[in-house]
Amino acid sequence: MSDWLSLLGLDLAVAGVAALVLLGDALVPGHGRFWGWLTAALLSLVLAASFLVDLRGATPHGAYVSDAFVLFLKRVFLAAGILSVLGAIDWLEEQAPRRQAEYHALLLFSLTGMMILPGVRDWALLVLSFELMSIPLYVLAAWAKTDGPEDRPKLAAEAGLKLFVTGASSSALTVFGLALIVGLTGTTHLQVAGAGPMPPLLAVGLLLVVAGFGFKVGAVPFHFWVPDTYQGAPTPFVAFLSVAPKAGGLAALVVVLLSGWGAQLAVWRPALVLLSVASMLVGNFFALGQSDVRRLLGFSGIAQIGYVLVALSAATQFGVAMALFFIATYVFTNLGAFLVVHAAAERSGGHDLPRLAGLSRRAPFLGAALLVFLLSLAGIPFVAGFWAKLFVFLAGYRAGLVAPVVLGVALAVVGLFYYLGVARSTFMHDGSSSAPVPAGFPLRLAIVACLLAVVGLGLWPGPLLDEANRAAQAFASGP
Amino acid sequence: MTGHLLSLVVAAPAVAAAVLLLVPRSARRTTRWVALAGAAVSLAGAVAAAASWDKQRGGFQLLEDLPLVPALGIHLKLAADGWSVPLLLLTGLIIVTGVLASWTVERRDREFFILLLVLVSGVFGVFVSQDLFVFFLFYEIAVLPMYLLIGIWGSSHEIPPAGPFGFAWRRFSVGSREYAAMKLTLMLLIGSAAILVAMLILWSRSGARTFDLQALERVRFSPATQNLVFPLVWLGFGTLAGVFPFHTWSPDGHASAPTAVSMLHAGVLMKLGAFGVMRVGMVLLPEAAATWAPLVGTVAVVNVLYGALCASAQTDLKYVIAYSSVSHMGVVMLGAATLNPIGWNGAVYQMFAHGIMTGLFFALVGLVYERAHTRTIARMGGFAHSMPAVAAFFTLASLSSLGLPGTAGFVGEFLVFLGAATGSVSWWTVPGVLGAFVTAVYVLRAAKAIFWGPAPVGEFAHLGDARRAEWGAPIVLGAALVLFGFWPRLLLDFIDVTSAGLLGRLPMLAEVLRP
Repeated sequence: MSDWLSLLGLDLAVAGVAALVLLGDALVPGHGRFWGWLTAALLSLVLAASFLVDLRGATPHGAYVSDAFVLFLKRVFLAAGILSVLGAIDWLEEQAPRRQAEYHALLLFSLTGMMILPGVRDWALLVLSFELMSIPLYVLAAWAKTDGPEDRPKLAAEAGLKLFVTGASSSALTVFGLALIVGLTGTTHLQVAGAGPMPPLLAVGLLLVVAGFGFKVGAVPFHFWVPDTYQGAPTPFVAFLSVAPKAGGLAALVVVLLSGWGAQLAVWRPALVLLSVASMLVGNFFALGQSDVRRLLGFSGIAQIGYVLVALSAATQFGVAMALFFIATYVFTNLGAFLVVHAAAERSGGHDLPRLAGLSRRAPFLGAALLVFLLSLAGIPFVAGFWAKLFVFLAGYRAGLVAPVVLGVALAVVGLFYYLGVARSTFMHDGSSSAPVPAGFPLRLAIVACLLAVVGLGLWPGPLLDEANRAAQAFASGP
Repeated sequence: MTGHLLSLVVAAPAVAAAVLLLVPRSARRTTRWVALAGAAVSLAGAVAAAASWDKQRGGFQLLEDLPLVPALGIHLKLAADGWSVPLLLLTGLIIVTGVLASWTVERRDREFFILLLVLVSGVFGVFVSQDLFVFFLFYEIAVLPMYLLIGIWGSSHEIPPAGPFGFAWRRFSVGSREYAAMKLTLMLLIGSAAILVAMLILWSRSGARTFDLQALERVRFSPATQNLVFPLVWLGFGTLAGVFPFHTWSPDGHASAPTAVSMLHAGVLMKLGAFGVMRVGMVLLPEAAATWAPLVGTVAVVNVLYGALCASAQTDLKYVIAYSSVSHMGVVMLGAATLNPIGWNGAVYQMFAHGIMTGLFFALVGLVYERAHTRTIARMGGFAHSMPAVAAFFTLASLSSLGLPGTAGFVGEFLVFLGAATGSVSWWTVPGVLGAFVTAVYVLRAAKAIFWGPAPVGEFAHLGDARRAEWGAPIVLGAALVLFGFWPRLLLDFIDVTSAGLLGRLPMLAEVLRP
């Protein structure tokens, strides 16, 4: 019992915060903003605790482990949680002052599931934590209910429904795959199941599981929900949705494929490479034609998943380390980009690119921040995204995946075209409006934090790289 | 003091840019003085570096080393060789005069100077970094701010859609500054993607897991690797050097860019490309360089002639100068392709000379444009009556451009043609010299059309000469053209010891080249 408590200490603390916020709001209603600040503060405490307390170890039968790899991802999730809570505070106050605590609680439950995920080595636990991560997201996506634009008032509900339907079917795929796997191997332990021989039906089961995770990370051909949901769901939530659950899905892929099923490389590597190449191609080329900045970022996110899958396909310790680095930088970059879009666009009346025109004059700070995030997504030196992209390609190249790497490098140039297209709208066109763009303090705080992380990691990637290497080493050496 | 001289040169503009972030938007004079101070510190640092560089010893001097990502063998390693010194001086001269030439920028001036200074930090960095990776990082910084600089502060020019692709011209708004900015950025970044791939191949095949240029020089790559990597490096850096047929970004970009950016881009950035081809391609991959040299040189000759012919056909003054850069960069690449010390000396000298000359050209064209608000040559005429000094300096630059003895342009071109004539493919000299002749035709014709003739009446009657800060660029750059034209040894001593060293220290190259 004490084992579980210490291993899952951080996760339980987050769940505790969720319960506290939910109960507190029920008992002392009417303190809207306070709950947001409290959540952010407590999450920061949990994050600090993760550095101070030694939480490493494993349960007796190896169903759950906590090592440097797991801690690395937990910290990334916590950071994403803090930043998205901060980014949402003002918006919640404006949209639904009485339902604020609910939003934070749901987000925290999702966060709990996400944080448990990387440590599980048991199929049943994996499904449980995965669902705990996913179900609150469906509710959150439809949060704004009927507050969409005038011509499509139920946009958010539509987005939530789309997310729910695809999410539920992806879960069904995963569960079906698991039924095959557990039925054939007779064990729910990941590593035991993956160590034996590989009859064709088992391979089918594994590929179904991969497909289920593919939905969550938004890899092509399981990506159709991504642009629609991003466009319809409230932007501060999309900021969270576009990074944390994706990182969760990637973590699940790493755990299942590399920890449990590393020996079956021949089965899953071609599938993963295919997902990666298709994601890079579709993401980059479809982003070219988008005029809604959220859809554009949605497709760009698909492309980014393609890049990180290159590193995972490498199936090496180096590849895992580079993927972890990529995930961490992607969280800050994409979260920051969506927060800026939220701050800038909602007040300008829409998310079409022309609406962003003149942003750099009306809000120089937001304009500059957006440029930095876009450059980071494009992989330009001296911002974090450059190293991330370089490292995943390096991992792929070292594992002999030359064709995907060359394709990725070439497509990165295509990516630059649409990222610069956004920059062109914000910097080179003077929009019709010249009113300054107000952005509340918590939102600014979150954006500044993302900005510092992106620029800081761009100038000095060493520490995070070392940390990612340690995490990958711990992961490779097993419990 | 000399311990950190190079980092001072590289960092000074970036620090000035950071300071500018703190300067209030309304403090316009302070903005300019801070920018000028940053540029001047770099120039002073470059001069000090040249003074303390030991010409007897050669090799790499003023070394600085700081591990950046030790896990991958990436070091922030700075050092100057005899090729970097003239290029540092060139960059310093151009940025100081470029800031002076931008004194009159009104619109969003603080952002303009910030981007300009960041860019120039990148340029300095490229010339002194001895780590391939850091080289690439600086290269990217030098390229990217260009997108905003051209897109925001550039000028558009109405080009009437004509010919079979007229519809496409209209569709992509050819001639507009946004078109030029996007074209330039994308083409250069496709080039840098090729460089990145080349770097990764070198890194992994060297066996040393290092990006250190000097360590890589000692590695002898297999012929297959060399022949795979060299074209990537040549086309990657060559795109920036304006190698035919990847030069098309250059006329559009240079014509649309604001004055200081044209000066920097044509004057310095294109040299980064040529420098990269020589420093990375030819020195690290000598056997492939020897194999590919006939093609490199032949394409360079095409550059010289085609660029000059295109320049003759332009009706827009900025396009004339822009195409002349394509032509003159061909001379540089021709010198590089000779693979002999004379040709290499000529190539590096021509980089310097062309940088100064084209910087002067663009500064003067900017002056003319600011007064006349037109770039169409046919509408101009007789401007010498109202701006005699501008006319005089323009003539000086023209004379250097056509290679008149006594100007810096002569030294570079002469050495290159000499190198070509004594090299393995001596016929290159013929089209090369022909190119210089065509150059004489179009620059003198342009100078005549703009400045000479009867005094203009109407809107161009009272244009006025250069004023205050505007004198900076013509005087400094004009003096440099003459000084280095009469006294080439000032720079050739640096260049020669390094060219000889690089050629001599590479036994495999000597083997290949032995007749």
